[in-house]
Amino acid sequence: MAASTRPIILAILSRGEDYGYSIIQKVKDISGGHLNWTDGMLYPVLQRMEMDDLITSQWKLSGESRPRRYYTITERGGLELQSELVSWRNVWQALVRLANPIPNKD
Amino acid sequence: MFDLEKEIRKWKRSLQKYEVLEEGLIADIELHLRDAYNAQIKAGHTEKDAFRQAVAQVGTAESIAVEYNKNRLIMLNRRSPLRPGRFMPALVWNYMKTALRVIRRHKGYSFINVSGLAIGLTVCMLIVLWVVDEWSFDRFNANADRIYRIYRDESATQADSTSVLTPPPLAEALKKDFPEIIKASRFGSWQGRLVTYKEKSFNETKFMHVDPDFFSMFSFPLVKGDPDTVFSNPYSVVLTEKTASRYFGEENPIGKMLTVNNTFNVAVTGIIQNESLNSSLEFDLLSPFVILLKEFIGEDNADNWGFNSFGTYVMLEKSVSAEKLNQKLPGYIKKYNDEDTDELVLQPLTDIHLFSNLGHDLRNRGDVKYVWIFSALAVFVLIIACINFMNLTTARSSNRAKEVGLRKVVGAGRSQLIRQFFGESILIAFFALVIALFLLEYLLPFFNTLSGKQLSLSWWNNPTLLLGFIGLALVTGILSGIYPALFLSAFQPIRILKGTMRSSGANPLFRKTLVIFQFALSVFLIIGTLIISRQLSYMRNIDLGFNKEHIIHLSIHGELHDKYESIRQRFLQNPDVLHVTASMALPTNIQSSPGTPMWEGRPPDAKMEIKADFVDYDYIETFEIPLVEGRSFSREYSTDLETAFMVNEEAVRRMGLEKPVVGRRFGFWNIDGQIIGIMKDAHFQILHHKIEPLVFKMFPGWLRRMYVKFRSENIAGTLASLEKTWDKMNLGYPFEYRFLDEDFHNLYESEATLGKIFQSFAALAVFISCLGLFSLASFIAEQRTKEIGIRKVLGSSTAGIVGLLNQEFLKCIAAANLIAWPVAYFAMRAWLQKFAYRTDIEIWIFFLAGAVGLMVALLTVSLQTFRAARANPVASLKHE
Repeated sequence: MAASTRPIILAILSRGEDYGYSIIQKVKDISGGHLNWTDGMLYPVLQRMEMDDLITSQWKLSGESRPRRYYTITERGGLELQSELVSWRNVWQALVRLANPIPNKD
Repeated sequence: MFDLEKEIRKWKRSLQKYEVLEEGLIADIELHLRDAYNAQIKAGHTEKDAFRQAVAQVGTAESIAVEYNKNRLIMLNRRSPLRPGRFMPALVWNYMKTALRVIRRHKGYSFINVSGLAIGLTVCMLIVLWVVDEWSFDRFNANADRIYRIYRDESATQADSTSVLTPPPLAEALKKDFPEIIKASRFGSWQGRLVTYKEKSFNETKFMHVDPDFFSMFSFPLVKGDPDTVFSNPYSVVLTEKTASRYFGEENPIGKMLTVNNTFNVAVTGIIQNESLNSSLEFDLLSPFVILLKEFIGEDNADNWGFNSFGTYVMLEKSVSAEKLNQKLPGYIKKYNDEDTDELVLQPLTDIHLFSNLGHDLRNRGDVKYVWIFSALAVFVLIIACINFMNLTTARSSNRAKEVGLRKVVGAGRSQLIRQFFGESILIAFFALVIALFLLEYLLPFFNTLSGKQLSLSWWNNPTLLLGFIGLALVTGILSGIYPALFLSAFQPIRILKGTMRSSGANPLFRKTLVIFQFALSVFLIIGTLIISRQLSYMRNIDLGFNKEHIIHLSIHGELHDKYESIRQRFLQNPDVLHVTASMALPTNIQSSPGTPMWEGRPPDAKMEIKADFVDYDYIETFEIPLVEGRSFSREYSTDLETAFMVNEEAVRRMGLEKPVVGRRFGFWNIDGQIIGIMKDAHFQILHHKIEPLVFKMFPGWLRRMYVKFRSENIAGTLASLEKTWDKMNLGYPFEYRFLDEDFHNLYESEATLGKIFQSFAALAVFISCLGLFSLASFIAEQRTKEIGIRKVLGSSTAGIVGLLNQEFLKCIAAANLIAWPVAYFAMRAWLQKFAYRTDIEIWIFFLAGAVGLMVALLTVSLQTFRAARANPVASLKHE
């Protein structure tokens, strides 16, 4: 999976608890279909993030009487998201500067 | 019609193939799939299309599994505190407690389990001891890998003929001619000896002669005397400890004089401790070979290259390969004796006991085939015991199912459960080992009588053996635990705890297969036992063609040989004595051969190996050998002593002589004589061999055994009066005799031992199988208690229910017979090939074995089923 997956999931969960299918849908909506993940790959990533204490999960009965696993961001997950945001911002700025043509000094 | 649930189930199965995708994870993904499907339906796709799209969206099972696997690898390397540890001492204690509790709660089953395994282990250990003993022969010699025996390959004169007997000058000559041979010794004897010390005298049959090199080649430990000097005086003797105590009791034997054959003395110079040594070379007394030449065969025979009567052993230089030396040996004898076409071959010392099948070989030999057969039997018996264990444990698995379910729910992984069940079976195997060691202690003396060995069980001070036994128990535990462990640990907790699991125990087909295998083995052993004992009784009761009954024989060695004629006369005065005669070899096994004889009209290149014996007058009459033509040796013809030969029908056939044969010229060595009579073919050899050409010749100087034939009435009285006559003659030798028919029986001792051992094993195998069958039957009866109750309420009779319950077992037994019969047939046919004269393998043997197996099984099973069928249905149904 791309390096962006974890910060994106953290960012989505920072808005409130959510379940797998919904997370995928949000990713697709927000990116306008540009981030197209294979849905199945989300779950191992979620498991891994849970192992790393970034998120926790809980089975809850949703309205349709089908139990769903809801994921919540942990404190550590929040911190991780902050540091990710900083580094992504840095990367972004660097890229923007590099992408602009260098003025000629003649 | 599209069936969503069916498709989802199919899709789930593709995920379940991956072990890493546990149920909970699959549930997550399944929900996702359903959501995706619903979304596709909402978007207006058909059901089938929607599902296809949803599956594609979720991705392939493999790619998901790969990701999860990565997580698992990370997890294995850093375990969170909530995950079970790899080793938890607290749980081990719990396992022990559970195991002991299971054993205690089901005493009957546990007893059968443990005792079955214990018997299996005991048999296995007995055989291990026996096999180790057989392999250990001659290996105690430090130079065992450098010592070789020389044997003669006589195939130039007769196909496949060999002999371990070599001439006296060979040992010295080899040492001189081949620098690779650094030591050599002859080993041999000549006639029995009467050895006297003060008033004690014994006939010594194992008085052997060796060369001084003997003690530096072989590692027989001298407890008294110096191996370098014991033979510095030729008239010396080295005794084994046992022999020494026979003559001298507590006295110090060194320096004492023993008198041999009342003619010469030897001084005791050394004592050998060979009690616990397994050696193919057997002796009670050892003297220098020089004495044998001087006192018995004459010193002129020291260079006689035709005197093939002794063993020759050589020791090679350390780096020398025996194969290279073997290549130099062809043509060697010809150098010294140009008429001799035999070739010499080196045989490793360590091959003599198990791998040797040469002519005139030493008596104390084993056979590697029996080692394999018994090892296979040991493994079989152990397998049967293990099968019982598997069968019982899996049959009773429903009793443990709840435990497995609960353990899994609280976090036990499959591997932990596997370890637990292995632990249990190993624990039981060790219980069995303890019992087996007690059994072994108790059974070893019986086994020793059976096998004719002196095995001792000093396992407590033999760490290798102890480790071996522990290893055996461990293997048994693992072997018997494999199936139950895999089977029980695979239970799905959800099915157990919901109660949807059928409590039928393991796969019934597997259980049946095990029962079939067990009984096939038992039936095989029964058939083997029957055929071996039939062959044995066939050999013992076959019409030999001569009469061996009511005949005793005595050794006439030393001075007795000269007094033979007067002894004969005195014995014949006894009215109960019918005949007295003598010969060189016992008629039970005539083996010596003068090579190809000369006969009238013999084609120049004709070859015929003929067996020969030297006999006295009345030999033919004593043994009642029927004549086909001519007459027997008679005192009325003065020429009989020198030139008369009697041959058997086979010799006549092989020489191609036309009748009348009597009067034809015949001879061997340099004796030119004629045939005076033709004997009907008779078995003068062990029945492994076909009847071969045979010739009898009179030769008073070579008579070594005297035979006395007496009336069948009052045998004890006749023997007593013969002994009185003997004592009156003051011969200086004890009256020691043996019955000829006993000797004949002893010829087949190895077959008899094999038969007895097979018998014991068959009995044990059947017993262990029945133990297993008994408990299995009781289990099945228990399982079907309610069914039986309902059947009875509906009017079934006890007999009908017994029949119903037995049916299943009967089918197994029938199948077992079908498997065992052909296997037994081919195995036993191969065994019977060893015998030139053998019984037929008759069909009734198979039916009998099958019937015995069936009856025993039926009886065992019925004990249980009858009880179950008799039970009052009220008792089994009132709780429903």
